[in-house]
Amino acid sequence: MPDRVVITGYGCLTASGGDAEATWKAVLAGESGIRQAETWDSSGWPYRLAGEIKNYSPRELVADRKLLKFITRQDVIGLNAVTQAVAHSGIIEHRDGLADPTSFNDRTGVFVGSPATKYRSQHDYLPSLADAGGAPREFGARAMEDVHPMWLLRALPNNVLAYAGIQYGFKGANANVTAHGISGSQAIAEACRYLRDGAIDRAIVVGYDSASELEALPYYASVGLLSSRGLRPFDRRRDGTLLGEGAGALFLETRDDAERRGAKIYGEVLGSSVVSEAEGVLSVREDGEGVRRAIRLALEDSQKSPDEIGMISAHANGTRLSDSSEARAFVDIFGASSIPVTGFKWSLGHTIAASGVIESILTLLCLADGRIPGIPTLEELSPDCEGVSASAAEQKPRSSVGIVVSRAFAGLNSCIVLSTNG
Amino acid sequence: MTMARVAITGIGMVTPLGNDVASTWNALLGGESGVREIAGFDASGFPTWIAAEVRGLRAEEAVEDRKSLKYATPFSLFALAAAEEAVRDAGVRPTPKTAERWGLVCGSGMMTQEFDFLQRFQREFAADGEIDLARLGAEGERFISSPEFARHRTVAGQALLHKRYDIRGYSANLHTACASGGQALGMAMRVVRSGQADYVLAGGYDTMINPIGLAGFCLLGAISTDNDRPASASRPFDRTRNGFVLGEGAGFMVLEDWQRAQDRGAKIYAELAGEGNSLSSYRITDSPPSGDGPIQAIHGALADAGETIDAIDYVNAHGTSTPMNDLSETNAIKAVFGDRAGNLAVSSTKSQMGHLIAAAGAVEGVICALAIEHSMAPTTTNLRTPDPECDLDYVTEGCRPMQIGVALSNSFGFGGSNSCLIFRSPQRAETRGR
Repeated sequence: MPDRVVITGYGCLTASGGDAEATWKAVLAGESGIRQAETWDSSGWPYRLAGEIKNYSPRELVADRKLLKFITRQDVIGLNAVTQAVAHSGIIEHRDGLADPTSFNDRTGVFVGSPATKYRSQHDYLPSLADAGGAPREFGARAMEDVHPMWLLRALPNNVLAYAGIQYGFKGANANVTAHGISGSQAIAEACRYLRDGAIDRAIVVGYDSASELEALPYYASVGLLSSRGLRPFDRRRDGTLLGEGAGALFLETRDDAERRGAKIYGEVLGSSVVSEAEGVLSVREDGEGVRRAIRLALEDSQKSPDEIGMISAHANGTRLSDSSEARAFVDIFGASSIPVTGFKWSLGHTIAASGVIESILTLLCLADGRIPGIPTLEELSPDCEGVSASAAEQKPRSSVGIVVSRAFAGLNSCIVLSTNG
Repeated sequence: MTMARVAITGIGMVTPLGNDVASTWNALLGGESGVREIAGFDASGFPTWIAAEVRGLRAEEAVEDRKSLKYATPFSLFALAAAEEAVRDAGVRPTPKTAERWGLVCGSGMMTQEFDFLQRFQREFAADGEIDLARLGAEGERFISSPEFARHRTVAGQALLHKRYDIRGYSANLHTACASGGQALGMAMRVVRSGQADYVLAGGYDTMINPIGLAGFCLLGAISTDNDRPASASRPFDRTRNGFVLGEGAGFMVLEDWQRAQDRGAKIYAELAGEGNSLSSYRITDSPPSGDGPIQAIHGALADAGETIDAIDYVNAHGTSTPMNDLSETNAIKAVFGDRAGNLAVSSTKSQMGHLIAAAGAVEGVICALAIEHSMAPTTTNLRTPDPECDLDYVTEGCRPMQIGVALSNSFGFGGSNSCLIFRSPQRAETRGR
């Protein structure tokens, strides 16, 4: 019997709140953190709504101020969530009382869902390009003068992984998943794999993203994925998604280890899945085949049947095809109107690589509090989402087990199964 | 419960030494260097203008599906070509019946925005070097074409490979800098072992040989500036080593359950037998001189494979030719292997093909499979001035004919991720399996 994996700490930072509790309260109260973007002058932009972190202050979010020279905004956000989850778990106090912290650190993993390199960092070269006026030789010389010597290190897609390790001395197995919207969920799944394989005893898992940076918006708008009005999952008038910044982190341990140290156990990761629809970068199957298969495999992995599931945290990104196709998958597996469905992107924006972890934390809180927040922007259920039990009204979970669905470009779909263990 | 063993049944490579497995292997045997003056763009304004580039790859020949070429960046073309060779070599490919039982696990590079695009973007929206926000807001969405949008996604290569082979099962796209390819093979091995997939197409692909990638490494001072002697610029473990040389390319494997491979009569190159995965948690660019971090990864790989230090015959070193990596790696090998360290054949194929960054671990994994198959340890070229602190047997005399029962491949990345993989010969795997 493989080890069971439990959650002993969590933390997050979103547009709607500076920690998990504040985010949870905001979502329950129907509050959205989505505003007109303020980190740059977005006046005149046709699409300017974004879920930006409020009162962003790197010096308050990251304790090691020297570090700020070597990391970017997305890394700051990610490391803040890591710090919150590690503190919440009490694991450092436990380690520091051990006779052999070295082997403890060697058996502690770091698993990350990363947005990978952002366009902003490449834009550090724009002044050199302008000065060189298209002359390649001149560009090389200018870049050596103009660009920060540590540029490459600031741009590394695995900075949060590296600095989470350095901050705490964790040295175990690690992975940096760069799979767009399923990165966070897959970081959880891979941490569980290495825990179940016995390669590590515990792991910090983090998903982070600054998805709403200004350079990203024209890209998403160019393929018609952005709404200019608001994110309305499953609504008849939904017309696109909105991007957001955020990070979420979980501390995972084997149940044996957590019980032995007397840790407070907030929940359990029962199973997971990742599948591809294999139809290209942007294609999404109308029939929800990938979502359906991801849910089936995750239930199988968890040894759960559909009627044991108490709620669904849907991807619910507000785009026409993603919402209707996942709705079909839910109805196919769970039957019409029989299981409470919610989503959180209407409040936080789509935090892409962070979303799977943040939404897992919020699902855990739904199960723990017995409350499933409604979706205030859902005014009229879309006919193509018929049968999905989602509305503006709050619901109650049917059991202590919930699933979290995440989707990504490349036709990727992931499902995480969580429980609070009653 | 016995754990499933994982067979390597297909291999493919695109490297600076050749655009397929045979030509790369022959160039390795011949001690050739793939390092030259950079031909892909005018690099003369940079402190370094040499690199190991892939030459003469005709993507149109490698990729039958012309439409997908529109969505391919240079490094995803490397991936498509190397993956095609691996799949053909394996003699098995996804069918509508098996597609959901195939997985795809890759380490891919970080340079997703093309330089040409960046130049056009600058002319359009940042004429004086600063972004004109009003203009970007008004015109940005029309400036970016749909294929460009797709090409610039981090999962662009992953999407192409999924579609090309109709792989519908498990999928992972990873990036831990220079450890990416190794970590991808390790994770793929675990996916097969766990029964999550029957077959996994696994590999790594990268290029950072473009003006931005080159600038980044030049700014850091991490690469050799020996522009006047490109062929010997990469000299791992040599006392005069002064940085690595950028390479590019892709390495892919088809991994499958051992029993399944045998049942279908597949040629088995080797068993991918163990993975050690650790984090140095020391500095972003360096491993500690003591070898801490890599030491745990080597131990982890040995334990995972059920082998002891006495079993290892050959080590394909990370061997980047930077002062600190080669020292740290040497010390890690000494710490793990003790008295046996001097008896190991250790070589760095980066001496010939440069550092393929996110592809390195995957390409070097393929090289380990070939070393086992051909009973031949590749050489470390350019090691002429011994470093008293790097005093292992680095196979400097040329390729060395030797039986290889078990090989170890090391990959250590910026950021401190370490990946060590154990490859076991089919004969040894069979003996152990009985």
